[in-house]
Amino acid sequence: MAEIRLENLTKDFGGLVAVADLNLVVDDGAFIALLGPSGCGKTTTMNMISGLETPTSGEIYFDDQPVSRVEPGRRNVGFVFQNYAIFTHMRVYDNLAFGLRVRKPRPEKAEIDGEVKRVAEIVGVSRILDRRAGRLSVNDMQKVALGRSMIVNPAIFLLDEPFSNLDAAFRAYMRAELKRIQSEVGQTMVYVTHDQVEAMSMADRIAVMNLGVLQQYGTPGEIYDAPENRFVAGFVGSTQMNFVPAALVPLGLRGGVNGRSLTVGIRPESIRIVDAGAPEATIGARVTLVEPLGAKDVVHLAFDEYDVRAIGTPGERPRIGENVGLALDPGRVHMFDDETGKVVR
Amino acid sequence: MAAIRLENVTKRFGSIAALDGVSLEVGDGEFFAVLGPPGAGKTTLLRTIVGLERPEGGDVYVDGERVTGVYPGDRDIAIMFQNLALYPDKTVYNNLAFPLRQRKTPKDEIARRVEQTAQTLHIGHLLKRKPAKLSGGERQRVALGRVLVRAPKAFLLDEPLSALDALLRLEMRAELKRLQRDLGRTLVYVTHDQVEAMTMPERVAVLREGVVQQVDTPENVYHRPSNQFVATVVGSPPMNFIQCRVGVRNGVLRLHHDLFDVEVAAKGLSLRQTLSEGTRCLLGVRPEDVHVEPGGSAGVPATVYVTEPLGGETVVDLRLGDHLVKSLAPPTLQLRQDERVGIRLDPRRLHVFTQDGEAVVSAAGEDLFAVAATVPAS
Repeated sequence: MAEIRLENLTKDFGGLVAVADLNLVVDDGAFIALLGPSGCGKTTTMNMISGLETPTSGEIYFDDQPVSRVEPGRRNVGFVFQNYAIFTHMRVYDNLAFGLRVRKPRPEKAEIDGEVKRVAEIVGVSRILDRRAGRLSVNDMQKVALGRSMIVNPAIFLLDEPFSNLDAAFRAYMRAELKRIQSEVGQTMVYVTHDQVEAMSMADRIAVMNLGVLQQYGTPGEIYDAPENRFVAGFVGSTQMNFVPAALVPLGLRGGVNGRSLTVGIRPESIRIVDAGAPEATIGARVTLVEPLGAKDVVHLAFDEYDVRAIGTPGERPRIGENVGLALDPGRVHMFDDETGKVVR
Repeated sequence: MAAIRLENVTKRFGSIAALDGVSLEVGDGEFFAVLGPPGAGKTTLLRTIVGLERPEGGDVYVDGERVTGVYPGDRDIAIMFQNLALYPDKTVYNNLAFPLRQRKTPKDEIARRVEQTAQTLHIGHLLKRKPAKLSGGERQRVALGRVLVRAPKAFLLDEPLSALDALLRLEMRAELKRLQRDLGRTLVYVTHDQVEAMTMPERVAVLREGVVQQVDTPENVYHRPSNQFVATVVGSPPMNFIQCRVGVRNGVLRLHHDLFDVEVAAKGLSLRQTLSEGTRCLLGVRPEDVHVEPGGSAGVPATVYVTEPLGGETVVDLRLGDHLVKSLAPPTLQLRQDERVGIRLDPRRLHVFTQDGEAVVSAAGEDLFAVAATVPAS
């Protein structure tokens, strides 16, 4: 267990600034996600925490101890990568035991056995301990990789897109399992992902990054309901937030426009589709496309020159071409400054 | 314009049957998707339609005409592969013009068709650029343009959006659907992404290990899956399956679980043929049809395993006996880990599968079920 503190952390790859002046505190025992598109600096940040990269400037502290010059092997950090690092010729049992057997002094056999069985239970591989790891399904291999890292009981656990090669159903299963495991084991966990669903669903706090710069650091609720800028607003949410010029939306804009050009952001689920002439309709739009998802629909609507998306109910599906009204919940409308992208509250 | 029909098509690679007796019909002008996990045979299916693979058994028909032995170039079907394969040294214009030049199309006709295609795909301003100077989405459009420009009878697309980032994929999904509707041409679309297969096509074929599992509208695949595999591959998070035991009394099917009983009154279904007294079966219920009642006084008793907030909704993982069940709840519902709750299953939306996964009953909102979800007095 350890608190991680990043202070003015910068990594410059010969003129290309991968991470710029990053300040971040990960509480002891917290589960945080580093979220962003490819090239945002999330993996470089993780590599600096683990020691695979040395920062150009700034410092990393584990429980107030500076570690940026400490060798990776001495940082007491565990890893799980996208490509499962396991010994394919060994049995699952030996894969799990490996990290303990190489320890000096080597623990007693019975102690190793107890730990292997405990961890196998947690990650769900108890029934396949005698199988050769190379013969396992992709899903089981990743469980073994997770167990291998967990057994050495690192103070800090780093995971780099560990689920991206798994199929969707298993990913959904592992998301819940990992969250539960972390809450029980209580290790500090840093999870790198480009998938906003993984970050939202598992992490206590999310650090959203773009182009090497931290955009926002907050709980999933803060990131989703109170995004600090347009990038965060657009990146998080499985159906993207709608953005339209504020001038087109009669909402009695808070604070007025004051000569600044603003954009209104509203999430698809905060838009209600109503009759064209209904009193609660804020704006009118025309239905252009319906995408059924089973439990709900994504309804695309033409509003001015914009494609606005709303969440619809399959039982009340509007017709393509139909003119409807859109009721926007004023309490859930976000405003962004067009010049800076920052939220205006 | 073309209707495509496959009759009992089998294609083997060594001892592995990539396609195993596949029969399908794609209507003229239809948007048809093929959904399946990696290795299901999706790409082989496309390659067989276009003529790049020759099946060992069965036949392919285009507009009623057998084309099984016909050279790919003579089938007038265009295919776009997962890897875009644009010519890096050619401009966008020349990339688009290339398939037409190969067919010795007159110059002014080429100019007209390239212009028209570029307009359809909103890439008119990119015609002089080379692929390296394009964004991922722009390259995708150009690759699509190369397929469109030939104006073939039918298009086959192999995971065309899989290389794009999430936001662009959302945008292209809607755009492709509109495009197909405007062009009105037959489109066969291969994907492993259930969202794409749900949202875009008129019908979808679910493929597993070379065998067609179900061909139906996306909504029927979602609400009336033919088996457990289909029920698992569509929907996110996937359907829950709960082990139950079958009891039959007075012609009524009753599913027993340690914590609850579900009574099924499925009119007109001769259930006893497939499910007999005492056998095990699976109760299938989608996460959105599992309702959580905080407080734990009403419904089937369960405890909260973890909660996964997604912003617009929250996935609640519940421990029901020694099983985990996923539920979709509104984001306003606040639950603590290990909190005791009650759960209700929507009686109008339950599925019953045999132990080996064949669907026996699916309820898509009708009153197929009369349910008594009772908690045994303890």
